[in-house]
Order: sequence, then structure tokens, then C-alpha cells
Amino acid sequence: MKIINFYKVFILLTAFFASTGFAQNKVLIVNSDNVIYRYESIATEFKKALQQNAYQWIEFKLDRNENPEAEAELRQLIRQENPVLIYCIGTKAYSLVHGYVPDKKTIFSAAINWRRLELGQATYGITNELSSAQEISLLHYFFPTVKTIGVLYNDNFSREYIEIIKKDALALGINLINQAVSNVSEVKEAFTELLPKIDMLWIISDPVVLGDKQTVQHIFQTAQKQNKPVYAYSDVYIGQGAVLSISVDNATIGRQSAGLAMMMVNDKMPASTMQSPAGSTITLNKCKLDTLQTKFNPDALDSVNTIVGCGQHD
Amino acid sequence: MKRNWPVFFIFFLFIAGGCRPARSIAPPFEEEAPSFYFFNTESNINNFVSLKMGFDIYFVERGGYLIQPFDLRENFEAVIQGKKGYVYLLSNWHLKELQRKHIPLEIALIATSKGNTMQRKVLSAGKDIVNFDMLKNTVVAAAGSEEYAQGILKQILGKEHEALFKDIKILIVPKDIDALLAIGFGMASAAISAESGLEKLAMFNPNHFRELHSLGFSEKDYLLIAATLKKPDQKEVQLLEALRKMSEAEAGRENLKLLGIDGWRTLK
Repeated sequence: MKIINFYKVFILLTAFFASTGFAQNKVLIVNSDNVIYRYESIATEFKKALQQNAYQWIEFKLDRNENPEAEAELRQLIRQENPVLIYCIGTKAYSLVHGYVPDKKTIFSAAINWRRLELGQATYGITNELSSAQEISLLHYFFPTVKTIGVLYNDNFSREYIEIIKKDALALGINLINQAVSNVSEVKEAFTELLPKIDMLWIISDPVVLGDKQTVQHIFQTAQKQNKPVYAYSDVYIGQGAVLSISVDNATIGRQSAGLAMMMVNDKMPASTMQSPAGSTITLNKCKLDTLQTKFNPDALDSVNTIVGCGQHD
Repeated sequence: MKRNWPVFFIFFLFIAGGCRPARSIAPPFEEEAPSFYFFNTESNINNFVSLKMGFDIYFVERGGYLIQPFDLRENFEAVIQGKKGYVYLLSNWHLKELQRKHIPLEIALIATSKGNTMQRKVLSAGKDIVNFDMLKNTVVAAAGSEEYAQGILKQILGKEHEALFKDIKILIVPKDIDALLAIGFGMASAAISAESGLEKLAMFNPNHFRELHSLGFSEKDYLLIAATLKKPDQKEVQLLEALRKMSEAEAGRENLKLLGIDGWRTLK
């Protein structure tokens, strides 16, 4: 009798899966680090979107402490479950998955410097940064009177990016003045030369310019002395004195990835291999704006996620 | 028949528990001080810390009122049930939904922005999408809750194109500006935004604005409303008066800007 009952459960479950399309649509989520909050919030939104559309998923979280068994466990899971698509959060997850099943339908996000990754035929991704056109549009929305922006950069790391943002800035009537440095010791002198020519400084993610803490501190202190506001790509610099930061919204990355995943599961491939994140998170340093008496668009306040007042710096 | 019980029980457990991860819902917020409860179905900015600090500091010397923003609709709705003595800030779309559930919320004040109390939502698309039919299998970006965005999209598509709805994917983004910028950068083919969002885009990125055109409009609706349960009592009248006076002070106006408005007006 027990066997008969087991069959009844099996038949009911099969009927349930078949009716919702679960059997064909299982997605594997591979998370590069089980303790990074950003990865977790991306995964949470991704799962929420799949759940709303009756897709089934399984999740594999890599251990921060380099568990030597992890790679074998992941391979075994892929063999056993044979997911129709794998969603990788972070570079480590993507590298492992691509190394094992390079032709599998794969989506990745939160990968640093995705251009260095080897992409498979069926690999699609969401970039780790906002598109520069979107970023500079939002910057212009907050500071419509700023007409000249300065950027310090290293030619080896950021030349391509500088060319893109120069073009995007020009389309909005903003003149972007770029000053190259070969190493971190040149930053102070280059900045002294740049500062009188600009209305605002833009801190980009350049490892040479941001090479050491003292140099970064010098940039902010000097800018403040000259009453020049600093815009930064990350809210990490708000505490140092940046007036505004615009970065990606993690929840949107999760939802965007889920949208791509559901298309790909149904054999509809996205038009382009890579997409920029569609959502932004904005932090405004009201204290610094008031100190510098920098004019900004008050109508943009309803787009700000966090307003930092005086005495609130982390 | 009795023998079938374990079978159905296991099946039920599997469906109810195994396939749906539990969503933790915090218990309803309990607050004794006179408060404004805020939840907006039309944006996902989650600027709650700034909003709370700004409003609470502003009201310290103006009655000591507090604002309690909510990020989950179910928690917001849970506190409304039978709670007099508070003012609820919400969208008119949400108010109508609650009234349909027989929650006796009544409009007390309506928000204003640059002299307007109402706005339409616009479905904008790139020039390559010339009609509704071309939206099939595309992504439409929108701010707000998914339910709200779906409702607005259905309204804009109308009866004639309702069959299209199931073939359109809605991508929820934090704010109107993100939705509009998503068109043209390959993240979405169309976007739903307030008309004021398009006006802002025209100001700060005229080139991008020129690449868009409007496919359809929703009906006009109030920007934001302040409501009470049934007719306002004395405590609620004081709260409403404090809210109405916000536009008279610089600090009040700045806080209203966080909500995308510049004042409050009595509904005539």
C-alpha cells in the first residue's frame, strides 16, 4: 500500500511540475560569496522574479574560505540537476561555471572587469557599472549649471573609458577636461594644474589615481579649499567629502537578470551580449553642498536615496 | 478515502512550503506619537532614512509629529486597519484599491507640484516602436510596485490591445528617470513614467528626449494624497494642518521635494 501511495505522490508532483513548466525550466544560481550582502540582495530579487513567474531554481553558494571541495560539488550539482540556465553572481562563480560548461546558457552579473572574462556562445551579462551616458545624464540632472568637469586618470587603465565619457559629456554640452598621470606620485601636481580649469572634479574608478589613501585625502582637501565640488562613482567617497555619488541599484540587477533568464529559458536570446544596469542609487551630501554653496537642482531631490546631513558621515 | 490523506498532505506541504521560500513580514509598526504613515506605490527609491530624518526634525518644534515610511505594502495596510488618529500618505491608485477592500479611507489633502494636483502616466518608446503591437516580447521599464505598473500598462493599452499584455515584460526600476534612460541603452524598449519625468528628461538630456515618443497615456490621477480613516477627528485635523503648512517654511518645502511635491491643498 505504501508503494501505491508513493506512486500517487509521484504522479501528483509530476502533474504539478508539468502544468507549471517547472520540469524544463530549472535555473541554477551560483553565488560567488555567501557573506557578501550585495550578492545576496541581487540573488533575492532574482529569486523573487522567478517565483512570481513559476520558475524553479536551485542555489549554490561558494564559501568565502576557499573550500577545496566546492568546485567538485558544483560540478556534481550541474551534472545531477542539468539546469536549463545558470545565473552566476560574481566573477568566481562565472569562472567556475564557464570552465565546466562553457556552452550552457549562462547569465552573469556583479563581475568586476567583465571584459577580461572569456564569454561562451550562450553567455549574457549585466555589467557591474552604470552606462557612462546614464551616469553623466544623472549628474547633469543634479548640477545643470556645471559646464566643465575634470577627471584624473591613468592612460593604461582608463583611456577607453575617458574617450567614452568625453563623448557622452559633450552630447550634454559639458566639457570634460582629462589629465593623465603615469603613477600615483604625479597626482598632486596634475590636480593642482587641473583644478583652476574646472567647475567640478569627477572621481572615476582608476586604481592609479586612487592608489593610496593620502593622495585621495589630498584630492578632497584641496578641492574643498578651492570650493570645488567632487562627484564620485561610489558612495564610499561621500564620507571623504564627495557631494554626490551615483551607483548601481542591486535589486534592479537581480530583476533585470531574471528577465533575461526567463527569455533565454524560452529560447529567446537577448539582442546584445551585455546590458548596463537599469537602476541607479543616488547619495547626496547636503552638508558639503551647503558648505561649498554649490547650486543644485532641488527638483532632483525626489530621486535621491540617501541625503547626508552634517555630522552624518560614516 | 482515508488512505489518500497522507498523499495529499505530502503534496500540499511540498507545494506550500518547498517551492515557495517563506517571506518574512515584520510585525506592524506600533507608534504612539501622532504620525504620518507613508507608502508610495509609484516609486522604489527607498529614501526612508532621509525622509524620516527630514520630517521628524522639521516637526520637532511644530507639534512633535513623526513620519513612518513603509517599504512593504502589506505592513502599511496592516497598520491602517481600524487605526484612527493618524494621517496616511499614499497614491490615489492605492487608496482606491483599499476602498475596494472596504477600508473607509477618505481624502483630506491632495499634493501639488508646480500648481498641478493631477498627472498622467505616459508610455514612451524609442522611434523604432511605432505602435502598441510592436511591444510584443519587449521589456517596458517602470518605477513603483509591479502591481501598480501592470495596472497602468493595462489602462494605457486599453481593451483593444489587452491580449498584448501577457507578452510584455515589466522591469521595475527605482525611479521614473531610470525608466526613461533605460530606453535607448538597450535595457528596455519602452518606459512608463509621469509626464513630469519626461519634462525633466527634456531639460537635462534633450537629445535622449528627442529620441522618444509617446505611445499612450493613462487617465489623470492625483499626485499624492493625505487620507484619514473616515472623517478626520481633532487629532487628525492638527496633523493635516501641520502638513498643509509645510510649504510655508524653507525646511518644509525641502522635505516636500523628497516626495516630489511642493505643497498640499484641500480637496474641493
